[in-house]
Amino acid sequence: MKRIIALGASAMLAFAAMTGCSVKDDSGGGGGKGKKQITFLVFETPNMTPQVWDAAIKRVTDRYPDISVKKLVSPTQDRTAYAKQLLTSGQFPDVMVAISPAGFAESGNLYAWQPNELKDFTYPNNGAVNGKIYQLPANTQTIPVVYYNKSLFAKAGIASPPKTYAEMMSDADKLKAKGITPFVVGGGKDIHDALGPTFAGILGTDLYAKNPDWMHDRRAGKVKFAGPDYVKAAGKLADLASKGYIDKRMLSQDYAATQSAFLAGKGAMYAMGNWFAAAADDPKSKPPFDIGQFFWPSDDGKPVVPAFTGGGLLVSSHAKNLEAAKKFALAYQLDKTNLDASTKNDGLFPAIKGYTPPANSGPAFRTGYDLFKQAETQHAVVPAFGFEAGDDGMLPGVVDKWSTSMGDLVTGRKSAADVGKFLDSEWQKAS
Amino acid sequence: MAVDVARPPTRTGSPAVPRRRRPVWPRVWHFLSFGAPGVLVYVCFVLAPIAVSVGYSLTNYNPFGPKTRFVGLSNYKQLFTDSEFLTSLKVTTILTLIVVIVPNVFGLAVALLLDRRGWLYNALRSVFFTPVVLSSVVVSIIWTRLLADDGLINQALRGVGFSHPPGWLSDPSYALYSVGAILSWQMLGFCVVVYLAGLQGIPQELHEAAEIDGAGPMERFRKITWPLLAPALTINTIVMLITGFKAFDHIQVITNGGPGTGTTATIAFNVLQTGFNANREGYASAMAIVMLVIVAVAAAVALRILQKREVSM
Repeated sequence: MKRIIALGASAMLAFAAMTGCSVKDDSGGGGGKGKKQITFLVFETPNMTPQVWDAAIKRVTDRYPDISVKKLVSPTQDRTAYAKQLLTSGQFPDVMVAISPAGFAESGNLYAWQPNELKDFTYPNNGAVNGKIYQLPANTQTIPVVYYNKSLFAKAGIASPPKTYAEMMSDADKLKAKGITPFVVGGGKDIHDALGPTFAGILGTDLYAKNPDWMHDRRAGKVKFAGPDYVKAAGKLADLASKGYIDKRMLSQDYAATQSAFLAGKGAMYAMGNWFAAAADDPKSKPPFDIGQFFWPSDDGKPVVPAFTGGGLLVSSHAKNLEAAKKFALAYQLDKTNLDASTKNDGLFPAIKGYTPPANSGPAFRTGYDLFKQAETQHAVVPAFGFEAGDDGMLPGVVDKWSTSMGDLVTGRKSAADVGKFLDSEWQKAS
Repeated sequence: MAVDVARPPTRTGSPAVPRRRRPVWPRVWHFLSFGAPGVLVYVCFVLAPIAVSVGYSLTNYNPFGPKTRFVGLSNYKQLFTDSEFLTSLKVTTILTLIVVIVPNVFGLAVALLLDRRGWLYNALRSVFFTPVVLSSVVVSIIWTRLLADDGLINQALRGVGFSHPPGWLSDPSYALYSVGAILSWQMLGFCVVVYLAGLQGIPQELHEAAEIDGAGPMERFRKITWPLLAPALTINTIVMLITGFKAFDHIQVITNGGPGTGTTATIAFNVLQTGFNANREGYASAMAIVMLVIVAVAAAVALRILQKREVSM
């Protein structure tokens, strides 16, 4: 009898516990009474610290107290891969920042922004996937800018930055002769971000300057990686290593260590996205030497500026609180304080109509911004290879192969021609 | 002392007392109440995911792609002509060999040195075991820093006159062996503890008897210690074999499969890349199933050989 009573009591407790767990939350789950909770996937870098994200989120939630935000942090720089893992495990975030929309968009997992929602953006059609915009085209990044250590340039007797590729090679030779590593690069788990900008510089001048639609043509099968233009550019990257202008051993450095190496004066030039300006201007990381900047020079000296506009927030089409997610994303993206903070913390150039950077922007940011504005007026802007998004980018999965193939070129494991063939075969697999 | 020996039951003796049959339901109930939760957990979290993966491996499943369709064994056929998969198989095999051999050899040596009494030896046992309990990610980050070009190791080498020390993680010729060394370093403590347990289970009398018979230390090791450590060797070999085959997190953090294409990409790493970066989840599932079969067969063969050896010794 006692056993029956005990069993009955256990069953009632279990039932009570289960019903307690399944109480419907009309507020959208968690986040306090009446609040709409959304999840927000972010990433952390030396510039984009947890404090920076928290402050930016708080500015929006202060404005919309009915929204509460659960921040998710990508474990690596490859937040797109992490978002895919979350999607396939049924945990796709409601709002995400700076992930590639390719794949997510075509499969109906992203909300397509309507033209009236994009009216405040300077380039509202950038990064389209099948003609629709899934990622807010929030900011422009020039990839790369070549940052250089003025002290080391002076030590090698170089008076001014190079205007042509030949001049840059000559400068690299002078630096090497003085025992200075000409280019700081990285690799390891962050090879795309740590070495990619260098190759994007070469591909910008040697490939996109000739044919800005190269990637569209590749999608249409009109050009190949094994074609002469890509192979020539790949050969240039391999040459930088074989001539000792890139120290192959630096490939073990991750993104943060690469940035630290340049700031510590371990090399003269650092081809990086303009977001590096944030670190160059930050009093905490500002190096003791002056930093100059120029765009990767072309063979004939004609200005070519690889850039990418996008990188903004994306919203899941399946978000439980879709309206709240959209409201949060737009408010986050258009908030003047957030935009000012993004220029300071990540060196971004907001692509928002009527926006002007704060007057107290750091010198590295200001120089980069002015150089970009000048390039815009000269119509010198081309896509940044390997950093494009949507219809302008590589097929899903190929960009990872492109990243690892840079390692093959730098280490000399494969010739430029073999890398071209390899990428074409990977493209074929991904098609 | 009187011993009460029970008479064996006879068929022809006094009429047998009818045996009361134990009711079946209480036994079923006991089995279900104790066994079912475990079986249920195993089915839900081990067998069902494997079954689902087998199902996926027979399709072209791509979460972003066109409608999923059944493709039969074509993913499996493709695997054995896929140079990337074959490279990862080679990388995994080399890494597994390193991880099986190095921690076993050094683990045994360290265990023999630490098989003493005293606070110092107890402390040293803890020191050797510490890396085992550390997160692989933490270990990977520490070693990435140590093995970087300007890391402590290369600085020390430069300090003693090597002007161009190796690129431990950046040179394709070294990277896989560096990762193998890191994994071995982390697993060394596990082997030490298992061998120590084995050593402490060997009766001291055997050593004393052998010593009286004139056996030297080497002969005692060969004839007594080594044979009686056979169960410890079996455990260590199987655990290291499985650790080597499923290596992923160290690769992801330290080299991301590079430098270059696939130089340190194990099968597990390749599965994740193919599944989550290239979105070919059907194909990645086929890789995972092949990996499962390889690990199961390798572990079963090793277990059989080592257990046979235990019996023969």
